[in-house]
Amino acid sequence: MDFLARHDDLIDLVHESIIVHSADGLILAWNSASEALYGWSKGEAVGKTLEDIFGPVGETKTRPLRDQLRAEGRGHIEMCRRTRDGATRLVEITWAGGGLDGSAGEIVETGRDVTESRAAGDALRKSEHRYRNLFQAMAASFWELDFSPVGELLYLKKKSGLVDNFERYFAENPGFVRELMRETRVVDVNDQTVTLFGRGDKAEMLGTVEPFWPETSTHIYAAAVLSAIGGKLNYSAQTMLRTIEGREFPALFTACYPPDTFNKGTLLVGVIDMSREIEAQRRAAQMQSDMAHAARVSMLGELAASIAHEVNQPLAAISANAEAGLRWLDRDIPDLREVKALTSRIAADSRRAASIIGRIRAMASGSKVESVPVSMNDMISDAAIFLRSEIQKRDVRVSLSLSSGLPMLLGDKVQLQQVIVNLAMNALQAMGGDQSARRVLVLRTRSIESRVVLEVEDNGPGIHPDHLATLFDSFFTTRPDGMGMGLAIARSIVQGAGGTIVAENREGGGARFTVSLPAI
Amino acid sequence: MSKPGLLIAVIDDDDSFRVAMEGLLRSMGYRTLAFSSAETFLASPEGERADCILSDIQMPGMSGIELKQRLDEQHRRAPVIMVTARTEPTIRQQAIESGAACLLRKPFEMQTLVDCLGRVLLH
Repeated sequence: MDFLARHDDLIDLVHESIIVHSADGLILAWNSASEALYGWSKGEAVGKTLEDIFGPVGETKTRPLRDQLRAEGRGHIEMCRRTRDGATRLVEITWAGGGLDGSAGEIVETGRDVTESRAAGDALRKSEHRYRNLFQAMAASFWELDFSPVGELLYLKKKSGLVDNFERYFAENPGFVRELMRETRVVDVNDQTVTLFGRGDKAEMLGTVEPFWPETSTHIYAAAVLSAIGGKLNYSAQTMLRTIEGREFPALFTACYPPDTFNKGTLLVGVIDMSREIEAQRRAAQMQSDMAHAARVSMLGELAASIAHEVNQPLAAISANAEAGLRWLDRDIPDLREVKALTSRIAADSRRAASIIGRIRAMASGSKVESVPVSMNDMISDAAIFLRSEIQKRDVRVSLSLSSGLPMLLGDKVQLQQVIVNLAMNALQAMGGDQSARRVLVLRTRSIESRVVLEVEDNGPGIHPDHLATLFDSFFTTRPDGMGMGLAIARSIVQGAGGTIVAENREGGGARFTVSLPAI
Repeated sequence: MSKPGLLIAVIDDDDSFRVAMEGLLRSMGYRTLAFSSAETFLASPEGERADCILSDIQMPGMSGIELKQRLDEQHRRAPVIMVTARTEPTIRQQAIESGAACLLRKPFEMQTLVDCLGRVLLH
């Protein structure tokens, strides 16, 4: 009892549970913290054994503790202990031999309740585990990158005063951007990354990111860096990336910079292989181009008579000139003045014929779709080659209202002409049946804000309200011999050039088709 | 069989052909008048003096066929040779029915023109 009197106050001041017991487990001292932790008071615990208080504890649990004690004089273990009210707490226990004042055979135990923090630790570990599993298992390619060397490099550059605008600096110094790539370290990648970019060996992927960026994609990496240092949360873009063997492929690249990881220099990147999508897009575009071509050829077939009409004019003139030439030369005194004049006319008419043939050939060609600056007014004049005869044949008056100073637009000349001819032919055919009223075809161009607008109007019967909604759908036709592809293809051509096409009925009767395309 | 001094009116909206046709007729010894439309021909006093009319069928405005009908209404007797670049088979029928003396297709053989003019101007 001397012992207690000497140390009681002291051990009560300590926040951790302190139990002093003999080697057999007889409790000699028990502080307030022990009471708080386990529930038994000092009076109840002192004089009892550990087994009395906590129940029997298996030998396997305490053996390592005793071994440590014997070997080093101290022991440390985590153990579950039962409290007075039956709860189980996880306690971190240390034992020190020598009692409080060196008495052999006495053991001073401290206990710390780690139940909560262990649970938190477990939760954290579980969450990390789940993240790791996700990282690994995702079907997309994921990368964990260490961005800190880049951050330093940029900081130094800024501090040196040589750079005030990184966007411009990156654009003017692609070599520097490549250096940033070499300073971006790959910390970890998932299996899909090894599959997509590598050749089965994860280790060789853990270098820098530079090998995976083609020269032509450098600007995308630069933009991602700018996003990161600009405080954005993420950046994504479609670009070409490179496998470790150098094969380039289209990819959707996304980088994200969640603030807490980014501040530690960590960057997360996801890559999705777009090869199939790009290939599908290419095939769809090819099919659209083929269909437009087929429609053009079909249209040329329908216009064959008109085309022949156009070509026959210069040919007939050439023929008449040539015959006249023979006669002038056959006179006793050949009239060379006349011959010179008609020869010059022959040359001009030959060029005219060649130009008509050239345009017909262009219409019939299946050439790749171009995107070049074109003039709407010029295209309408050229379309007249195909339309003039049809217009005269049907005795239709044409009103051309072509705005001067119309801006150019970007598109494929042949395809857009096809649309013009198509719309005009539809208008002519719509007015075909009407013998009474004065048939008028209006072709009007103007510019509205940043767009070039073409309006094709007729004063035929107009479009039936039921048809307005499906007019541009494939296979829609009101003609018994029609295939119904004309307007569908016209729309796809116009949309491909970034424009819109709308059909409506005019107030005074008849229809109006409005094509609107972006000006350059 | 060309008679010098005969006046032939050439009506065609296609400038190249009209000028070439005039030149050809003159090389054959005829005098010519040229008009770019049936309307201007009808409105012209000189046109009434033409011994023969060579007219395109398809023109903006009045067609060659309509011109023949108009001439018939006015009891003008000059024979009309119709010329066309159109290729439909029905054109020939329409021309014949309108009373054209002959129908020439563009481009046509020289001999066809000579035969046609010969036949027409024999009266």
